[in-house]
Amino acid sequence: MRSKRHLWVIALLMVLSLVAAACGGSDDTGSDTGNNNGGDTGTATKGGTIHWESEEFGFTNGFDPTGEYLGEAWGVLSNLMGRGLMGYQHLAGDEGNTTIPDLAAEDPKISDDGLTYTFTLRDGVKFGPPLSRDVTASDVEFAFRRIATESLVAQYQNYYVGTIKGLELGKDPGAGGIEGINVIDDKTIEFTLTKPTGDFLYRLAMPATFPMPEEVAGCFDKAGDYGRYVISSGPYMFEGSDKLDASSCKTLKPISGYDPTKQMILVRNPDYDQSTDEYRENNFDQFDHTINTNTNDIEQKVLSGESEFVLTPTPQTLRKYVQDPELKDLLHVEAGDRTWYITMNLNAPPMDDIHVRKAVNWVMDKDGLQRAWGGPTVGEIAGHIIPDTMLNGILDDYNPYGSADNTGDVEKAMEEMKLSKYDPNGDGKCDESPECQDMLEIGSNVPPNTDMLPIVEASLEKIGITLDAREVADAYTPIQTVERQIPLSIRPGWGKDYADSYTFVGFLFDGRNILCTGNTNYSLVGMQADKADECGVPYAGDIPSVDDAIDGCIPELGDARVQCWADLDKQLMEEVVPWVPYLDAAAVWGTSPAVSKWEFDQFSGTPAWSRVAVDSSLQK
Amino acid sequence: MAETLLEVKDLKVHFNTPDGVVKAVDGVSFTLERGETLGIVGESGSGKSVTCLTALRLINLETAEVSGQVLFKGRDLLKLSNEELRKIRGKELSMIFQDPFACLHPLYRVGAQIDEAVRAHGDFSKADAKKRTLELLKAVGIPRPEERYRDYPHQYSGGMRQRAMIAMALVHNPDVLIADEPTTALDVTVQAQILELIEKVKEDFNIGVMLITHDLGVVADVSQKVMVMYAGRPVEIGTRDEVFAQPLHPYTWGLLDSIPAVDQKGKRLIPITGSPPSMIRVPQGCAFHPRCPHRFEPCDKERPDLMDRGGGHPEACHLTVEEKKKLWAQREASRTRAAS
Amino acid sequence: MGRYIVRRLLYVFLVVLVITLATFLIFFVMPPGDPVTAFSGRTPTPQILHAVEKQFGFDKPLYVQYGKFVKNIFFGDEFGWPGFGYSYVTRSPVREEIFGRIGVTLQLAVGAAIMWVIVGVSIGIVSALNRRKLVDRAAMGFALFGVSAPTFAVGLAALYIFWQQFHLLPGTGYIPLSENAGEFFSHMILPWSVLALSFAAFYARMVRGNLLEALGEDYIRTARAKGLSEKKVIGKHGLRASLTPIVTIFGLDFSLLLGGAVLTERVFNLPGLGALVVQSVARSDLPVILATTVIASLFVTVMTLVVDIIYGFLDPRVRYT
Repeated sequence: MRSKRHLWVIALLMVLSLVAAACGGSDDTGSDTGNNNGGDTGTATKGGTIHWESEEFGFTNGFDPTGEYLGEAWGVLSNLMGRGLMGYQHLAGDEGNTTIPDLAAEDPKISDDGLTYTFTLRDGVKFGPPLSRDVTASDVEFAFRRIATESLVAQYQNYYVGTIKGLELGKDPGAGGIEGINVIDDKTIEFTLTKPTGDFLYRLAMPATFPMPEEVAGCFDKAGDYGRYVISSGPYMFEGSDKLDASSCKTLKPISGYDPTKQMILVRNPDYDQSTDEYRENNFDQFDHTINTNTNDIEQKVLSGESEFVLTPTPQTLRKYVQDPELKDLLHVEAGDRTWYITMNLNAPPMDDIHVRKAVNWVMDKDGLQRAWGGPTVGEIAGHIIPDTMLNGILDDYNPYGSADNTGDVEKAMEEMKLSKYDPNGDGKCDESPECQDMLEIGSNVPPNTDMLPIVEASLEKIGITLDAREVADAYTPIQTVERQIPLSIRPGWGKDYADSYTFVGFLFDGRNILCTGNTNYSLVGMQADKADECGVPYAGDIPSVDDAIDGCIPELGDARVQCWADLDKQLMEEVVPWVPYLDAAAVWGTSPAVSKWEFDQFSGTPAWSRVAVDSSLQK
Repeated sequence: MAETLLEVKDLKVHFNTPDGVVKAVDGVSFTLERGETLGIVGESGSGKSVTCLTALRLINLETAEVSGQVLFKGRDLLKLSNEELRKIRGKELSMIFQDPFACLHPLYRVGAQIDEAVRAHGDFSKADAKKRTLELLKAVGIPRPEERYRDYPHQYSGGMRQRAMIAMALVHNPDVLIADEPTTALDVTVQAQILELIEKVKEDFNIGVMLITHDLGVVADVSQKVMVMYAGRPVEIGTRDEVFAQPLHPYTWGLLDSIPAVDQKGKRLIPITGSPPSMIRVPQGCAFHPRCPHRFEPCDKERPDLMDRGGGHPEACHLTVEEKKKLWAQREASRTRAAS
Repeated sequence: MGRYIVRRLLYVFLVVLVITLATFLIFFVMPPGDPVTAFSGRTPTPQILHAVEKQFGFDKPLYVQYGKFVKNIFFGDEFGWPGFGYSYVTRSPVREEIFGRIGVTLQLAVGAAIMWVIVGVSIGIVSALNRRKLVDRAAMGFALFGVSAPTFAVGLAALYIFWQQFHLLPGTGYIPLSENAGEFFSHMILPWSVLALSFAAFYARMVRGNLLEALGEDYIRTARAKGLSEKKVIGKHGLRASLTPIVTIFGLDFSLLLGGAVLTERVFNLPGLGALVVQSVARSDLPVILATTVIASLFVTVMTLVVDIIYGFLDPRVRYT
């Protein structure tokens, strides 16, 4: 999923050092600012209007659920506007990462071979105005027809294409046109998969699969256009939906409640039946998401009670939150399910040598990197690849390259370096090899990358590596291009799409998914000689692959699946070593005193809109 | 005895500048009578223009120290209130300037600018003002005045602009017309026409004219009285005949030598050597002495007063009248020789 | 005159055409980011990439794309005239978006222009007439501050003082005049003032300079000599001459603003063209970038023409040739 939050997380840097000083230095609990994980989250008050201002919406596909990839959009769609076969409880942590039946009346019947999923739809779920009709199995099927429709650019179609039998990109396959999707009757739908897929239920909790009415959504054949006409199947809808004339495609005019350059207003959907839904509380009456180009203004309004939510406050505002005892509890630092890491290219010398990669892991001053980001508020130091919340805590204490205070272990690093072919004289530094001198590194030209660079340089120098560091506006394009052979980049971060580790490893370490350009497996784990050839680079040879291990985990279910991914994470960290993971990033939200109930939606990384509440009497 | 219109008494105008005090005018006295043209002559910087501008208080009084009197029909113009002065300007006392293009507002029609002058004094309706304007445009010799009335200054030739300026100056039949280098910017043929016009206006309206020029030739044509100025002070005053027949100041001689005269073709023009002095550091004694070929003992120490030393009219030169007469005769002779 | 205008309009057309070509080349040949991959998700399969390319029209040769772009501007597209295409980001016709915002920018610009002309010209006149006196020095001190103070900082400071500290005015945002006139004005007064500040300062200096220069002109002496009152001398002859050149500068300043007052719009959260430009550049929304560039250049070239024509009426020396 796309996220905008790192833009400002960056800016936290000064704050925490200040906080740490103010709170008395080494006391670890001092940094645990306003974290409200679980427990009492306030008493919900009903009614009122929620205000949330952002500098921009940032939608990746115009809010059309089929293609929309932005976390904040997912938060709104899954909490307020849509009910997929599967859904979430809209809570923080593990609970929030577990799917529950939403449009489906109960968990599906899964065939023994794990290939067939049969769902029965819940009674009483309806599309809101102007349709006001029952949601049927065909509406779910239609959502998949849209995913299959190439021109609609379903941005995460890869979770369905190749997994559901007969689902391929192309023209709209039409009703019944996807072999693996069988609408048995209005209330029953059956999916047939090409291979057992343990996280399939997660994939059915994604907004692209939410039921869509063909009589409206079918009018749009270009990517994103449906965004201004989204018909709700959830508790809220675009204001003005009832005015939509859906009698034909020609009469459709954008719904007034959503102006992509100004605001999105949601009001209660009169056709929503609370009794069909045990997880959404639906406290407020109206939801206003507004664009405000003045960041300072956005935050002032939250602090003064004119608005209620702000994502990733700026350092100044964060300081207020942290230092003012009355505001302290209004800052919410939650698990962001996102790892920030240094990527190493397994095909580019000297990083083609595992001992060098291990040495880099040993020597890296992760404490310094965390400080460059702003300290503990922005997230915990990562010891491995997949965020802890996604592994149910199995690897919480796993840190194969740990060191005292996380400042790096030079001794072990040098020991490791001695084993490398780039250190022929065995002094623990590879400075005698030209590959280690002025090694190319690509980073971003804005903080925190710019603040990280000196720390990375100082760390690497201890094992004899000097950098030719390039700070550029768009660092991703070069590292996504195999031909460029960039040995090291401090730029990347990766966030989950849903709470299964496949959304990490499938993109990041599957050798079969390597693309010559636009590649996300920056480390080129599992690259074969023919792919290197295709992309026009010399093949370094013996690049380790985890393809089989990935395939082994895909069909697994439940705890076994999580354990499988955890094992893969360990394998990657110890036998492949493609990264130096350093930060398990947090999602930081500030609220106003008028928010009478806070809940975090672990799936989308946003407030759990279906559970938060506002006390109108405290609003200004 | 003619009526005295303007009497200037010991006028001094000193400007304070960052570099020092500029004594632009340093003791000037003269009178102007009805029906008379007074020519004021001198090089640029001699103070002749400042004298006139001061008379109408058109200089910036904030930076200038003015002393003396400018009596216009008995009232001291330097002491009048702004409003009293305004009532005199353009009504009883008018002025025309050197560059007729710069002096007309480029963005207003010529007719409108004259109308404005008409309506500045007295209660004229628009139509009356226009009537008067047309009358005057005709009087100063603008062809097809009805058409030219609507023209802008840039559509006029230089001569016509000056005619228009004169028309503007005459709308209220003033008693005095001050013409500050009215022909300098014009072609020679046009110059003559304008001078003729001023002469005619003087006759027709029976007014006093102050004609400021650096050209003695112009003065010779139209003036009854001549004042020669140098470095802020008059050096010789007399009737035209007196000054031209027997000039008594070496500076006047220099000026006369530098006129191309129509009746003396082939005469060599002799410029005055040197350049006018800085008005901040005026030379001691006679201001002209550094350039004077006839300077002698007291010239660089004592300043000669303006007085009649027996030559028939006031002048300011230490030489005796006899010496002057002799020297002038010699100059005339050598000039004629050189020409033959 | 008629022929002159026709020729100048032809010139406007040419300039706009050249600008569209330049903008088109800059943004399509060397885009700041790749809109296609940005629009294709995390796994941009060749198929998806191709679909996006097709939707954006990138699959056609460049000259065809440009031809279509120009054709749409002049003859309109499926969304009406002028055809500016479809925003990649907001998924709506660009012309709707621009027309929805032009009004806000226009209101901002007009209000600010009225303020800065009134304030700037009066200060300039007072200053010139009291040259070197205390009033003049104070005014020129203000002007120096106004010219050099960054709009962004002044805007934030103004908000802090008038909204956050003393609650004299509401915060940011835009309330349409038709919705609530009082709210409209209370929301616009700060943006107007802040935007007007630097212009007012600049105009004050310019008017002062022009007026002082004009007052030294010979025709002012003439006006005095013919017995006009000081009021008329300065108020009519002096001002007319000193304000005429300002018309040209005003026309240009104003037309530039119509292309969007970027900083003011962003600080005060006004949904105008300037805010749109920033958003579009950040998101590589090429059709919107192109459309705003075309609109802005059109404003400037047309306004230049208008100013030249007006100038002809104000200054008879100007000839249309």
